[in-house]
Amino acid sequence: MEFKDYYKTLGVPRTATADEIKKAYRKLARKHHPDVSKAPGAGDRMAELNEANAVLSAPEKRAAYDTLDSEAHAQAGRDFRPPPNWNAGFEFSDGGVDGTEHSDFFEQLFGHAARAHGGDRGRGAAFDGARATRRGSDHHARIELDILDAYEGAERNIVLRSARLDDHGRVVNEERTLQVRIPKGVHEGQHIRLAGRGGPGIGGAPAGDLLLEVLFKPDARWRAEGRDVYQRVPVAPWEAMLGASIKVRTPGGETEVSVPAGWKAGRKLRLKGRGIPGSRAGDLYLELELTLPPAESDDARAAYAAMARSFPAFDPRHSHGV
Amino acid sequence: MNRPGPDSAQQCEVLGDAAFSTEELARACGVAPDWVHARVEAGVLQVDMASGEWRFDSVTLVRARRIAQLETTFEADPQLAALAADLIEEVTRLRQQLRALGAEER
Repeated sequence: MEFKDYYKTLGVPRTATADEIKKAYRKLARKHHPDVSKAPGAGDRMAELNEANAVLSAPEKRAAYDTLDSEAHAQAGRDFRPPPNWNAGFEFSDGGVDGTEHSDFFEQLFGHAARAHGGDRGRGAAFDGARATRRGSDHHARIELDILDAYEGAERNIVLRSARLDDHGRVVNEERTLQVRIPKGVHEGQHIRLAGRGGPGIGGAPAGDLLLEVLFKPDARWRAEGRDVYQRVPVAPWEAMLGASIKVRTPGGETEVSVPAGWKAGRKLRLKGRGIPGSRAGDLYLELELTLPPAESDDARAAYAAMARSFPAFDPRHSHGV
Repeated sequence: MNRPGPDSAQQCEVLGDAAFSTEELARACGVAPDWVHARVEAGVLQVDMASGEWRFDSVTLVRARRIAQLETTFEADPQLAALAADLIEEVTRLRQQLRALGAEER
């Protein structure tokens, strides 16, 4: 287990006041908040900040941490094991905001102590005499799928990292791969629940759940809005103006659609029920895009010239007033 | 740290439109149910009353977790945290529109 220098994480001296710690944390939280920062690893950085703040902003945890911090061997990044009874005389409460998962270092120092006290902000804690029981925390994560997975279903391997207490009350780290079968019909923003795959329960209480928020990978071919799917379909000028029956490869397979004669910019064709499948299937919208053939040969250039002669009064800029 | 091979494929439950109770939403946010009640009454969180009891959808779950995090991180007023969440959601929506137009890569 590596020692974590929480003061360094927040960029404050060891003599920092509570107000200075709060200001430093908020400044860094604003910068690295995963909703704002597009930098890779912003979520991990935010988790580090939360962990450092959880310790340094709680007087009793900070005092206990400071006793470790003064140990000669406690240096950031170095292998570290706390001395026996390092926390004697300190009492911790679980001030976790949202079941946030902390580092092994944090779990080793505060996780067990906090859980043993059954500290909880009104969440499902129950006491059986002196022995506390508590349902395990739910874990939250995101899973990226292709839109095609929503049409066909998919199997994904998810790596879960967790810490559990062994029979001696020591934290044991585990990493396991979970194979998840995702049924067809999921859409972006929806949640998938894996019952009992969250944090372990305390005192025989059941484990929490793993909740996966579904996101779709960006795809140049199509995009989803709720259950509806949008797909760009290039059409030739003669198909657009004269109408045509064209073949289109949609997420649900190849299909033949009829393009009506007469072009209108922004025209969409709706294929009812061909969006994301389900009891309330979405619709598929084909967004027609006019595509001009290249004038790379003499024949092609002659065809464009003939077209120009056929429309002597046509002024494409007229309707735009330019 | 051990890393065994995959467990056998586990069927998962895809949650519907009104999947979460007040207690489940509160647990997901690490708050007490009173917190949820107050945010619904303040118009910060949307509730589905179709079944006669309060139910919440996936979008509201993500929003509630974001607001709880903002309130805690910055000791923010609930309405201010909700305003920040509104703006984050709007930015997300606009980025999706830009991507749809091919103007921005994720």
